[in-house]
Amino acid sequence: MKRRDILASAAALPFLSALSTPAYAAPRRGGTLVFARAMDCIFLDPTQTSQNADIWISLNLYDTLMQPTVDGQGLQPGLAESHEISDDGLTVTFKMRPGIKFADGSPIQVSDVKWSLDRARSKEDGGSFAFLLAAIGSIETVGTDTVILKMARPDPTILQAVATFNAGIMSEKLLMAAPGASMLEKAKAFADKPVGSGPFVLTSWRRNSEMVLSRNPHYWKKGEDGQPLPYLDAIRCVIIPDDATRILRLRAGEAHLTEFVPYARVNELKQVPGIKMVLFPASQVHYFALNNRPTLNDGTKNPLSDKKVRQALNYATNKQALIQVVTHGVATPSQSFMPMSTPLAYSNGPLYPYDLARAKKLLSESSYPGGFEVTCMALAGNADDAAKIAALQQMWAPLGVKVKIEQLESATRLAKYNNNDFQMRTSLWTNDINDPRQITSIMAYYPSRQSGRTGWNDARTNELFEMSEKELDVEKRRALYKEIQERFAEDAPFIFGMDVPYPIAMSDKVHDFVQIPLGNNIFVNTWLDA
Amino acid sequence: MHLAGILGRRLGQIAVTVLVVAVLVFLLMRMLPGDPAIMLLGDRATDADIERLRAELRVDEPIAAQFGEFLLRMVTLHFGDSISMRIPVSRLILDRLPVTLMLTGMAAVLALLISVPLAFVAALRQGGWVDAAIRVFAQLSVSMPVFYIGLVLLITLAAGLRWFPVGGIGESFWEDLYYLFLPALTLALSLAAILLRNLRESLIEVMHAEYVGFATAKGLPHGLVLRRHVLRNAWVSTVTLLGLQIGSLVGGAVITETVFAIPGIGRLMIDSIFARDYAVVQGLTVVLAVMVSIVFLALDAIQAMLDPRLGT
Repeated sequence: MKRRDILASAAALPFLSALSTPAYAAPRRGGTLVFARAMDCIFLDPTQTSQNADIWISLNLYDTLMQPTVDGQGLQPGLAESHEISDDGLTVTFKMRPGIKFADGSPIQVSDVKWSLDRARSKEDGGSFAFLLAAIGSIETVGTDTVILKMARPDPTILQAVATFNAGIMSEKLLMAAPGASMLEKAKAFADKPVGSGPFVLTSWRRNSEMVLSRNPHYWKKGEDGQPLPYLDAIRCVIIPDDATRILRLRAGEAHLTEFVPYARVNELKQVPGIKMVLFPASQVHYFALNNRPTLNDGTKNPLSDKKVRQALNYATNKQALIQVVTHGVATPSQSFMPMSTPLAYSNGPLYPYDLARAKKLLSESSYPGGFEVTCMALAGNADDAAKIAALQQMWAPLGVKVKIEQLESATRLAKYNNNDFQMRTSLWTNDINDPRQITSIMAYYPSRQSGRTGWNDARTNELFEMSEKELDVEKRRALYKEIQERFAEDAPFIFGMDVPYPIAMSDKVHDFVQIPLGNNIFVNTWLDA
Repeated sequence: MHLAGILGRRLGQIAVTVLVVAVLVFLLMRMLPGDPAIMLLGDRATDADIERLRAELRVDEPIAAQFGEFLLRMVTLHFGDSISMRIPVSRLILDRLPVTLMLTGMAAVLALLISVPLAFVAALRQGGWVDAAIRVFAQLSVSMPVFYIGLVLLITLAAGLRWFPVGGIGESFWEDLYYLFLPALTLALSLAAILLRNLRESLIEVMHAEYVGFATAKGLPHGLVLRRHVLRNAWVSTVTLLGLQIGSLVGGAVITETVFAIPGIGRLMIDSIFARDYAVVQGLTVVLAVMVSIVFLALDAIQAMLDPRLGT
């Protein structure tokens, strides 16, 4: 069996047309789009970053062999025009597009592809996401247009992996020419003024203030007019940490687009003439991580180690009310521990629908029938966290469960969490890869991170995950993941919460901007009215 | 004492102050829970990732070794690279410092432009309705939090009337003056209120002094009496107060820079503390300590000029 060109799925089409203008409006070329961002990039080397502000911009600067489709569910060809996977899954062959160039006009050679992927998968230089390419044994090139991945073991996610930001194709010559004695020093120097293979290239950067991404004149993809993309001359990212100020900028006409609109303001902005308020489907879940261990770090007994207690608390949590309180109704209740936009996500309806009677019954059967006190860590000054915990305090009071809030700043909270020194916390997750593998490895598979630090250790789930890592057949893999998700839901190591979209407000002059479920901001097709 | 001697002694004091401040900040930052590696990696990190990055950033070294290196850096004024932004700290500070200097400088000038004339009017019309109105203004300005004043000004003058841009900075010096006007005004208002109250009190006190009565009795013109005798004497405590407020001006800049999206060192400091970016926090502290010390030095000189009795 040969598999060729998994193209954009048809499901993407209605979604796209809802966001773009009617078909008769032809895209206009030119213009600078002003993007009001909440946070600046830090390190624009795709292999060396792990923060969203970098990841979400990276695909504009560094193109990949395959690209995610806009619905986030499928793949489309990128720098490679086609690919073949051998029946045993051990050879993946990519045929590169002819005539592709880096932003400085130098050709993208197969040696650059090999070098970039070798670097991205190496233990020394690959950074936190090297594991995504860990199944590759070696990389070979043939002629001027063929790159062959020789797999050490079959990997069902290899195509997803080469479409992920850390597999962005870089120029070996340019990076190695950067000053510095070590690879890391060179990467630092290069990432300050990176020249990549994506539709845009960084032309100026004042840290935490402004970043200008200009059109890469050598980009390969063609627009509707048959001319090379992108349509925009430039994107000017201005960094404005304050939510209210970002919205003011947009309303004053000083910005075209802004991210992280507070949910409380979504409905208000929907009414503002000249502004489009869009909720992009996201691979984002909000939940509460629970410490499942029998004793806490301070030696006290932990009621949350009792499965019946965790189930009772889940039933006592009114997700619809939580959604109203925190997102003003724009989210949907969780149906799995993974966001529903993740491929292979399994749903049997919302998890633990609100049922106080059942919650009381479960708690009465548990070892804590009279209730207990639980301490929940929150991010100090974060209004969403405060609202979530205040809601839980009310919802759980009828069970006799008292929720204590512990407000901490981010680094302290992370330090405690990483030391398992917590009982409960507010949590948020966004996928970085279009596959259930990343979230499952972190949240459910004990060996990699003690199941999201909860301490939940289910031998069968660990075994299922290890099987899924070798399973090439999509349907068999789906079945493995179904069982993992069912087991996780049954044991409830979390308080399940909600799938939350990305709220983006933009001027109605902006067309065809997409934030895909993984969070990546895609500007390649974006255009502006005059 | 000889001038060179005074200056030398003062510079020595500054060096000791800066060293003490820097050492304190080094220790305080290490006492905070968390480290830059976990902040860079966030919730997704595995233990192996954290260990690898700790080693790469060299925050896993013993505290004594880190302290030794820190002292060496202090002496050589080489602040190293920012841990979270991966560029030299000196470059970051040089990029940001002019913006904050301009912001706080404009704020100080605006505060004086607001407070001095109002203080005079209030003092001369002491007890009248103008005086009462000015005191209400002062009370309001000092009691409203800086971020609130900032947001009100943004919503009315920038987003509403569109007289000013909504935050950010310009491309040139003249544009910066325009962009920084609202944030400087935000900072200036509470400072102006403090100065105004102090100067008004001093003016009233001095106006009732015998030597002022004598100068007026001598037949000197009213304006000259006010300038030479009243203002000059009333100034001393206000200038001291202004100097003492420089620290809080920088503190206010932290908030103002966040609300108005200004890339200054105030915002850099906050971001760096949250990111546990030891190198930047240490570098910034040294620079700020030197700056504040220089301001105090200049303040002493000005006071000595205003009141020669203080010049020893």
